[in-house]
Amino acid sequence: MRSNDKITGLVTVIFGVLVITNSRGLANLPQQEYGAGTFPAVIGGLLIAFGGLLVVRGLRSNAPWMIWTNEVPVKRFYLTLLAIVMAIVAYILLTPVFGFPVVATVLLSVLLYCFYRQNWTVSVITAAISAAVIWSVFGRLLQVPLELGILEKVIY
Amino acid sequence: MESFLAATSLVFTWEVMLIILAASVFGLFMGAIPGLTATMATALLVPVTFFMEPLPAIAAIVSATAMAIVAGDLPGALLRMPGTPASAVYTDEAYLMGKQGKVGVALGLNVVCSMIGGVIGVICLATLAPLIADFAIQFTSDEYFWLALLGLSCAILVSGGDPLKGAISMFAGLAISMVGMDSVSGQVRFTLGSYDLLAGISILPVLIGLFAISELIRRMPESKNTRAQVQACVKKPFTGVGSLLWKYKGGVVRGGVLGTLIGALPGAGADIASWISYAIARKFSRTPEKFGTGHPEGLISASSANNASLSGAYIPALVFGIPGDTVTAIIIGVLMTKGITPGPDVFVTEAPLVNAIFMVFIVANLLLLPLGFLAIKGARHILSVPSGVLFPLILVFCMVGAFAANNSMFDIWIMLAFGLLGFVMAENDFPVGPLILAVILGPIIESNFMRSIIKANGDLTAFVDRPIATVLAVAAVLIWGMIMLNGISAGRRKTSLQQS
Repeated sequence: MRSNDKITGLVTVIFGVLVITNSRGLANLPQQEYGAGTFPAVIGGLLIAFGGLLVVRGLRSNAPWMIWTNEVPVKRFYLTLLAIVMAIVAYILLTPVFGFPVVATVLLSVLLYCFYRQNWTVSVITAAISAAVIWSVFGRLLQVPLELGILEKVIY
Repeated sequence: MESFLAATSLVFTWEVMLIILAASVFGLFMGAIPGLTATMATALLVPVTFFMEPLPAIAAIVSATAMAIVAGDLPGALLRMPGTPASAVYTDEAYLMGKQGKVGVALGLNVVCSMIGGVIGVICLATLAPLIADFAIQFTSDEYFWLALLGLSCAILVSGGDPLKGAISMFAGLAISMVGMDSVSGQVRFTLGSYDLLAGISILPVLIGLFAISELIRRMPESKNTRAQVQACVKKPFTGVGSLLWKYKGGVVRGGVLGTLIGALPGAGADIASWISYAIARKFSRTPEKFGTGHPEGLISASSANNASLSGAYIPALVFGIPGDTVTAIIIGVLMTKGITPGPDVFVTEAPLVNAIFMVFIVANLLLLPLGFLAIKGARHILSVPSGVLFPLILVFCMVGAFAANNSMFDIWIMLAFGLLGFVMAENDFPVGPLILAVILGPIIESNFMRSIIKANGDLTAFVDRPIATVLAVAAVLIWGMIMLNGISAGRRKTSLQQS
């Protein structure tokens, strides 16, 4: 999905303005005209200038505002994007409650079922083995605190 | 000699050797799957390297990237699909050689030339880096400011594409690098009141987001549940390779040296090295008309160049702390988290470590031969993993990896945000390289800028009152002139194309 340079340029200008406005309250170093806000102000200014150039270029071209450039159909793309975002959000919200092994197994089962398009049994078995391997490597070997969640009560 | 012996004792341990082997196998797998790049392999490897000592961590990254570049040639020759961008230039050549019944020779040449190119690169690295470091030891914050700025500017110029968008990508990266507590004044900036952002945005989730999640967003909709159909099993990969190497020995050496030099330019990675090397091989060839018909000459030169560029990128990274490509940007990040700041001083204070890094390069490149041989023999099995299985597994691996850096769920949000940003940037032709280099170099540029300005009592002319600083400043100004000119001409080209 490609946008006209007008849009990306405008977003850049807005970003530059935000950087400058947020750096205004920063105090200078004692007895200096420079401080923590100097560099952000320079970068913000450059973002506005270069974003402006992009807007000018976009205004000169007759390219459409948005164009779908992907080979896959729009619907399939958005469904996949939604699946990825939902999977990440679900992982963040559910892992502290249910623990890594359960959440990873469920998420992987659903994703494998959707993308590998095999039956549920194959998906769940593959997911459970993969989650166990990842947990063993990171949780046990590398000592990353991947929570066991509800399994903690079962195991210990 | 003492330093050399100390380096040997650091490298030749079971731990380092096993890590090199395991990372090579991982790189082999990642490189062989079309769409998964060497940078993505590095980004996924970083969470694991966080738990290692500096040398094993670097050894893992060096081995994985070298092997991923070589393995990227497998799907190119067997399926006409480049495994990594670095092998794209000679994919047709290798595939057409396969059609002529020479697939074993094509892949054998890829492996052997990569190994030779890699070794040439290490020799250049080990020779040039200490010499440049000796010179660089007299640099002050003025020179470092200009050097870092020059590195970033080069990254925009040579990363290809639209320079205007490259510059915006760089400024965005610099803005992102300013989040958190300012190292000079201690003031808190752009944290939006979030406690998690006080220490700044962690580099690891940014890398995983930009290189892995954005790639998953792009590739997952195309995922298949079928296995790739590889026509034939490769039987004798190295038969006939020796005679071809001897015939085109000049191309191998030229590719190696050229690859190292191109790799040393900030922003120019293995893919640019292989494209330029292929083009030069064609220009100097006695039979340029044979290029593109399954002729090995260009393949030899480009294979040698893309692996040599990996070593070349370590020259500015080790000597100045300025990354030559995204992989060395990651390496600098890893070293900094372990309390080692790359720069000329490292060659004195950490001499055994620097020598050990050179040795690791040699070992990783020599390992390409046996592992490359096994990879060619087992190519059918590697390429048959359906993407429908692989992509969900990578997604979970990314989430765990982003969490592992600081054991913080907040970093997974950062990963998601940068994944979406990386996807939008790629779709709109904004190069990601300058952004990531700017995120890493931002604090270096700002702290050196502030140090110089405090030293000079706010006098801006102090930035150019030393000869080397003046030369670097002039070079930076010239490069920015070129960026502006290229940006204007790119805009005009685009407008005239749309109008026609």
